[in-house]
Amino acid sequence: MSERIVVVGFGPVAARLVEELLPAVRTGLVQLLVVGQEAEAAYNRVMVAELGVGRTTAEALAMADASELEAEGVEVRLGVKVKRIDRARQNIVLSDDSTEHYDRLVFATGSRPVIPNLTGLNPDPSRPVLPAGVTALRDLRDAAVLRSAVAEGKRVVVLGGGVLGLETALAASEEGAQATVVHNGPFPLGRSIDRGSGSVLINSLRAGGVRMAGNARSTGVETSGPGGSFSALLLDDGSAIDGDLLVLSCGVRPRIELAEGCGLPVATGILVDHHLRTYHEPHMFAIGDCAEVRCPDAACVDCRTAAGPPGLVGPGWRQAEWLAEYLAVLARDGQAAADALEALPKEKPGVVVLKARGINLAVAGDNQADPWDEELLEAGAASGRARRQISQWADPEHGRYVKMTTRGGVLEGLVAVGMPRTAAELVVLFERSSELPADRSLLLRLDGPDQLDAGATSNDPQRTVCRCAGVSAASIEDSVADGCSTVGEVSKATRAGTGCGGCHEDIKGIIEKHFQAAAA
Amino acid sequence: MPNGADTHCPYCALQCAMTLTPAASAAGAAPAPEAEPAKVDVPLEVSGRDFPTNRGGLCRKGWTSASLLRHNGRVTEPMLKGSDGVHQPISWDQALMLITTAVKDIQQQYGNDAVGVFGGGGLTNEKAYLLGKFARLALRTSRIDYNGRFCMSSAAAAGNRAFGVDRGLPFPVTDLDTASVILMLGSNVAETMPPFVQHLQGARDAGGLIVVDPRRSATAAFTGDGGGLHLQPTPGTDLALLLGISHVVVHEGLVDADYIEANTSGYAAVVRSLSAFWPERVQSITGVPATLIRETARRLAQGARDGGSYILSGRGVEQHVDGTDTATAAINLSLLLGLPGSARSGYGTLTGQGNGQGGREHGQKADQLPGYRKITDPAARAHVAGVWGIDESLIPGPGLPAVELLKSLGKPDGVRCLFVHGANVVVSAPDTNAVIQGLRSLDFLVVCDFFMSETATEADLVLPVTQWAEEEGTLTNLEGRVIRRRRALTPPPGVRSELWLMARLAELLDAPSTFSDDPETVFEELRLASAGGLADYSGIDYAMLDRGEAAYWPYPVGSTGTPRLFTEGFAHADGRAVMVPVTPSKRAVRSFADDSLALATGRLLEHYQSGAQTRRVSELLASQPQARLLIHPGTAASRGIADGDYATVTNERGEVLCRAELSNSVRPDTVFLPFHFPGQENANRLTEAATDPISGMPEFKTSRVWARKAVSTQEPASYTVPAGTRLPLHVKEAS
Repeated sequence: MSERIVVVGFGPVAARLVEELLPAVRTGLVQLLVVGQEAEAAYNRVMVAELGVGRTTAEALAMADASELEAEGVEVRLGVKVKRIDRARQNIVLSDDSTEHYDRLVFATGSRPVIPNLTGLNPDPSRPVLPAGVTALRDLRDAAVLRSAVAEGKRVVVLGGGVLGLETALAASEEGAQATVVHNGPFPLGRSIDRGSGSVLINSLRAGGVRMAGNARSTGVETSGPGGSFSALLLDDGSAIDGDLLVLSCGVRPRIELAEGCGLPVATGILVDHHLRTYHEPHMFAIGDCAEVRCPDAACVDCRTAAGPPGLVGPGWRQAEWLAEYLAVLARDGQAAADALEALPKEKPGVVVLKARGINLAVAGDNQADPWDEELLEAGAASGRARRQISQWADPEHGRYVKMTTRGGVLEGLVAVGMPRTAAELVVLFERSSELPADRSLLLRLDGPDQLDAGATSNDPQRTVCRCAGVSAASIEDSVADGCSTVGEVSKATRAGTGCGGCHEDIKGIIEKHFQAAAA
Repeated sequence: MPNGADTHCPYCALQCAMTLTPAASAAGAAPAPEAEPAKVDVPLEVSGRDFPTNRGGLCRKGWTSASLLRHNGRVTEPMLKGSDGVHQPISWDQALMLITTAVKDIQQQYGNDAVGVFGGGGLTNEKAYLLGKFARLALRTSRIDYNGRFCMSSAAAAGNRAFGVDRGLPFPVTDLDTASVILMLGSNVAETMPPFVQHLQGARDAGGLIVVDPRRSATAAFTGDGGGLHLQPTPGTDLALLLGISHVVVHEGLVDADYIEANTSGYAAVVRSLSAFWPERVQSITGVPATLIRETARRLAQGARDGGSYILSGRGVEQHVDGTDTATAAINLSLLLGLPGSARSGYGTLTGQGNGQGGREHGQKADQLPGYRKITDPAARAHVAGVWGIDESLIPGPGLPAVELLKSLGKPDGVRCLFVHGANVVVSAPDTNAVIQGLRSLDFLVVCDFFMSETATEADLVLPVTQWAEEEGTLTNLEGRVIRRRRALTPPPGVRSELWLMARLAELLDAPSTFSDDPETVFEELRLASAGGLADYSGIDYAMLDRGEAAYWPYPVGSTGTPRLFTEGFAHADGRAVMVPVTPSKRAVRSFADDSLALATGRLLEHYQSGAQTRRVSELLASQPQARLLIHPGTAASRGIADGDYATVTNERGEVLCRAELSNSVRPDTVFLPFHFPGQENANRLTEAATDPISGMPEFKTSRVWARKAVSTQEPASYTVPAGTRLPLHVKEAS
């Protein structure tokens, strides 16, 4: 029997779910309706800032195409909201007052930007009406606002020192705007990085043309620009940061009101178990930014330390892939078969790699402990579990900093600034829980110039000069001593230089050296 | 007949031109007596010959190739394995009778598909063609496939899907000379086909050689000193890397929009599929810094505007369970940049085996008929049946791809009698322990070879066949150019050509149609059979090849051939290239938690394929006498392995024991083993028989293994040196 699945929300995570369900749609195993509030089908929200600074196009951000999906048999409703859900009848009611039945419903409602409590901003989180010149940089229209500010080289004030805020400010600065980041605390990125990397990062951002206003507490916005638009961000010390555009980058909050409204248990996000099922409601699921994986089992070790939704798209995509398989099996083979599927593996703490041209930064896990910080290093080292160890490299003059926090040789935290190869390698090691080499300095040298072809020209007579024919320098020297005086003659006598010919210069050098020595 | 000829090297697909002339001292001489181990009896002298591919250059494999012609270990009579397990010579008449009886008995009892054929990409076009016909008409079996499945199948499947045709390089190799940028994907030509390196020089001089390889291979080292870029992804992540590069091309506006509009379909869906692969995310998957990903995309785009950009793929990215999709990602990247079919740019795959191109066109594949036709296509069947003069119903349907074929050996409903031609599966197939078991469970195994290869050793019957310098024929090189192999030497008296063998057996098995043992006659038939197919050879004949004409297929009668494909559009009905969105499979992304490592297998300059030939060349063996495990010093240190130590490499399929070589050239999470060695050094004991769902390609490059220092302090002996190989003294003492 064909199951009707309704997906509420059409962002990147919903797009992946829909794509993964297509085979089941094609065979008629499931009917699929996806409801999106925006006028566009899913696009890559992660790259909205890139669009805002003119580094990509809206076309390139697209992740789904409504008409192609419809051609495949998927129902797509764009530009409508789900007003409420009637769980008793298994219906959703849309903003155009139509109702649609569901057998299974998947919340993929994502999140919305946090609007900080500032005088001059409407504090209502569900209906923020922002003054002109203030944007939360969430959708394509927000990107267009930033785009024109950057194109005109205007002053862009970014409130918030999170990843997206830094990416936006740096990219805007590189593309010609004057960007200022206003953040609280001594350095941006808060507790995900440590003081050393924070300091190096600030210097790198400044070198990239971004003004950094740290330890700042903002209190309000001044809207005395043209037509009442944004003109300055007001701080609690009475100062103000002037600008033409304010980008609010103060984090996101899961969109849970629809789930909450129909009586589902929620915390920060919609609470789901390891099968992404909402509590005590076999017809409903949640994935992506709106979902909080924390099972009802109080004894579950994984969930004891569970935080809220990670706010990264990678885990959402993995959830979408997993749920698509679950739903297909559920529709085909029933509940028992679906529940027999292996539960979704626990997510590792998220890895953040700053999307930036001028700065290289990777950060993951817990980076608070310092090498001599006994209390933090011993934390969690009970019952045979190894203690944490720290390896650290700081070279602020050259904008380089690395810290590796390991337990039993496996990374629990990493932060790397200004060392792209090291950062790339550490992230792979972290993602795989692989053991680091005992000599951690191996990882620090990846960005060094000595990594590339050291000692290509040695004086070892046994070194191979001609790889193709396998001829050593000694053999060539012998042939020269025996009377060969040109590359051709050496080739004839030894076969050196008879393959790719790449060693001809080298052979010439040996001949010249021989005759110079003879002349001397 | 005068000894001596203009021919091509017996080994790889570059098919370097060489001239064979009678050696002054040794021509026609009897094998040298054992008392003179230093004197190797080489009947022919090899010299490089000027030709566009090699420009007179040869590597040491080619230079030493003639030393195998009168090698003491050469099989020169049919050899039957006795009940004591020892092979004893028998006459050809006896051998043919034995085979005929075995085939008839087994087929009567178990059905026609109980007899199978395993071919090779080193066979001439004539042999490959006739082998397909022999299997279908004389053996009446669908069970034929070949070792090219381990080699070119993923690139071939991707090429067919995208372009509608699969010719390794759709342009002459000399087109590369003027390129400003060449992206080499998992191809180590500096070792595998050294004279090819000449064609990279222009790109190196322009700083535009970009090599993707987890290892700093000899080819990757060319990118040093301003030669270009080396991208070192962790094994199994090539597809994600290519998506990342393509993402940058799309997002930075580097797409050749006019080209896409005029020449492709599927663009929008591919763009959508790329959206999720921004460089920083791809960095987290691959370990390749985002800056290098961006730089690669920009250089490729710039190169396409300057002297030209080429993307060349090799086994490194293709020999995976997602090899077809990875090759597709490479093709999509090349299409986004507008490379295929343009005058100065292109995409290609570097074919490996000597006749890896021709060998995949004329019916050795389980699903294929001559001319690169599909065996399931009624029109193709009718055409070939017409050429063969038989009823179409006599042609069996599709068989099993190589890995499945080998898995079926000795199984109920599987193959019980196998013919092996030009392959050494005991060394070269994945999961060789299982392959050996399969071979040993057969009722009858026939192996055609010139040496007692590891697979021949397993055979009930070994049939001695001609070597390259003793036969006439054609091969199709990596450019799709048909070239002549010429006889320079009379074979030893007991040796026969496989054409002769198939013709005799066909007669004894009452096969319909005709089977000639004359290469030119077989080629004339191949021309007809290929006519109208994708790989159309109908306009090519021996006379024109002997005049030195450059014949690139498709070459229909009345045409002048096709040096460059796609200049007038692609081979699909609408003339467009098909862009297919691809994404990394969950299966391909492997976990290497704990202390496991990724094993990549590959090649050394000195050896070719399973080493059955090159391990018998004393000069090559002396240079690379044994397998060595390449391991990063940091990885080795944490396992207590020192340089030169014996190490064991294990997983659930088997164990390899060999020396370790510490090197910065491999990633710390990866070890590398050459696959040319048998026995305890056989890398394919560890590889997995999991295959790509589209191409049937096995996973050769990401096996999960554990490396340890060998427990025994006593040095294990290396494998037994093949009989008749004369070793230089220092190697003898070492082994």
